[in-house]
Amino acid sequence: MEPSTSARPVIETAALTKVYPGDVTALGGLTVNVAPGITGLIGANGAGKSTLIKILLGLLEPTGGTAKVLGHDSVQEGEQIRQVVGYMPEHDCLPADVTATEFVTHMGRMSGIPATAAKERAAEALRHVGLHEERYRQIGTYSTGMKQRVKLAQALAGDPRLLLLDEPTNGLDPAGRNAMLELIERIGEEFGISIMVASHLLGEIERICDHLVAIDAGRLLRADTIDSFTKASQMLLIEVEEGTAELSTELTKRGLEPRAYQRALLVPIDGDDTYDAVRDSVASLGLPLSRMEQRRHQVEELFRTDDQQLEVVDVR
Amino acid sequence: MSVEAPPPSPGSATGVIHDLGYRRYDGPRLGRPRIVAALTWHSFRSAFGFGRGAKAKIVPVITFLALCLPAVVNAFAMSRGNARLISYDTYSPVLRALVMTIFVAVQAPELVSRDLRSRVLPLYFSRPIRSSDYPLAKYIAFTAACLVMIEVPLLLLYVGSIVNVHGGAAVWAQTRALIPGLLVGLMWSVVLAAISLFLASLTGRRGFATGAVAIFFLLTYVLSQILLQVETQNTINQSGPVQVKGGGPGGPIVAGPPLPVPTAEKVSGLFSPFTLFDGVRMWLGGTTQADQVPKPGSFGAVYAVVLLAILALSLTGLFARYRKARLA
Repeated sequence: MEPSTSARPVIETAALTKVYPGDVTALGGLTVNVAPGITGLIGANGAGKSTLIKILLGLLEPTGGTAKVLGHDSVQEGEQIRQVVGYMPEHDCLPADVTATEFVTHMGRMSGIPATAAKERAAEALRHVGLHEERYRQIGTYSTGMKQRVKLAQALAGDPRLLLLDEPTNGLDPAGRNAMLELIERIGEEFGISIMVASHLLGEIERICDHLVAIDAGRLLRADTIDSFTKASQMLLIEVEEGTAELSTELTKRGLEPRAYQRALLVPIDGDDTYDAVRDSVASLGLPLSRMEQRRHQVEELFRTDDQQLEVVDVR
Repeated sequence: MSVEAPPPSPGSATGVIHDLGYRRYDGPRLGRPRIVAALTWHSFRSAFGFGRGAKAKIVPVITFLALCLPAVVNAFAMSRGNARLISYDTYSPVLRALVMTIFVAVQAPELVSRDLRSRVLPLYFSRPIRSSDYPLAKYIAFTAACLVMIEVPLLLLYVGSIVNVHGGAAVWAQTRALIPGLLVGLMWSVVLAAISLFLASLTGRRGFATGAVAIFFLLTYVLSQILLQVETQNTINQSGPVQVKGGGPGGPIVAGPPLPVPTAEKVSGLFSPFTLFDGVRMWLGGTTQADQVPKPGSFGAVYAVVLLAILALSLTGLFARYRKARLA
């Protein structure tokens, strides 16, 4: 993407530990490097995502270890970090009786943008998130989806190099979720801003992320690119209206390893031959094929092995 | 706004471009002091309801006009040949205490409780300021707002007076009388802003915050007045010159120096910020015409110490409030 920054991680933590009073370990020796691009921070509620974000913003001092954001130490250089990082909290954080324009302008100013420029940037940020028409309305009159967009716009107002988004799809309906995810993807890819999206919904954010960082109980489960997560884990889902059993036998005969998944069959993909074999099988049996699509099932299972309750939502 | 479509350079004015790409900001970034200044200005404006709807301006406007009323009446009276009716250092004490109570009770929550209610604080703290910068900006802003409320009527009083007096000496006399009045106003503002912001910062519910501030100022004032009356009654009953009263804690020996006002009466002035203001004012040489508190004499130092202690406590509480809030 950006060759100048791609070499250096945007976030580096080393043995990062946070123990709250009462011996509650929120982070237990987390070491992870986050490359530029869109990164999903996946973990169940209470896995330590919010603690990590607070430490990265320099608002919370770690008990041990270090964290660097865009090369700045989180303890020593919190102010420098907060100048170049935009943050979208999980909870409601908007005053009701102010217009979106005024609010985002004010928040831009709080990021150090001079008055006139802050006004321009607020208008632009609101346009980018799709609130151009409504920007002079009071925020209290907005729908949940619009409010989420204002939250995103205020994070953009300061022209961040990195966005930390905490559960950005919270409270949105499916359409709203999709729109928000598309927006985040666009910001990451077209605007060239690195993004870390914290979420407990793996299926939801995996499709917009370049990398995934999975944490559980303050420890790193795995950090890798999406591709390596899903490599060798591509599955083909085949659903026929009838004759599923026959198809299964036929596929096995052709050297594939189908297994039942709900009313359909899953076959590991091994190159184009797999598709050919499936096509030929279905054709030779004359079965009514109703669905055939790629699935990435292994990703979810990979997280399930550690018996934490990740909510998994199937995403097409 | 005209950000919609900056003209594309190669002169091709073919319709509106709807989707401009993201533009980076490469202008100057203001440092922390300038950000705090911006927050201060923003808060100062909101103390008078600017940047909000018309409803938010009702209380500031009415209270401000109420405080200006004595100055206007004075100007009118002086134009009819009367001497100045109102002293600069006391202004109109009961009116000022009452109206300022209303002002801080309604507007202090506007500055701090709103942000708590809407949970916008994490957005402030995720920006390049420190956790103490937020209460600092709010405090400076609200002190300034109180100054406007108190000093502008004084300046009106001054202007109304000097246009009605003649000769440089007379103007100079007015000016010299004005200065202590301005200083008293400063004392009021610094303390009122601290107390009211601290109390308001304890809750995000505006109604509660307003109630807490109003009750604090009214109750302490009433308490102080009642005590004062009770003690004054006592003194009268025990009829003046008999100062040897029962014997102090040390035994029956001491008669104590004859005081013009018994200490008990002065102690009653300790219970309200407004009586403290008055006590300190008189202690520092102000006029005594306002009969709120007995003339304190050397007891004035106690008033000053208590007032400073209240100020320090309020500010400590206010700043501590936001040290914790940072992580919420």
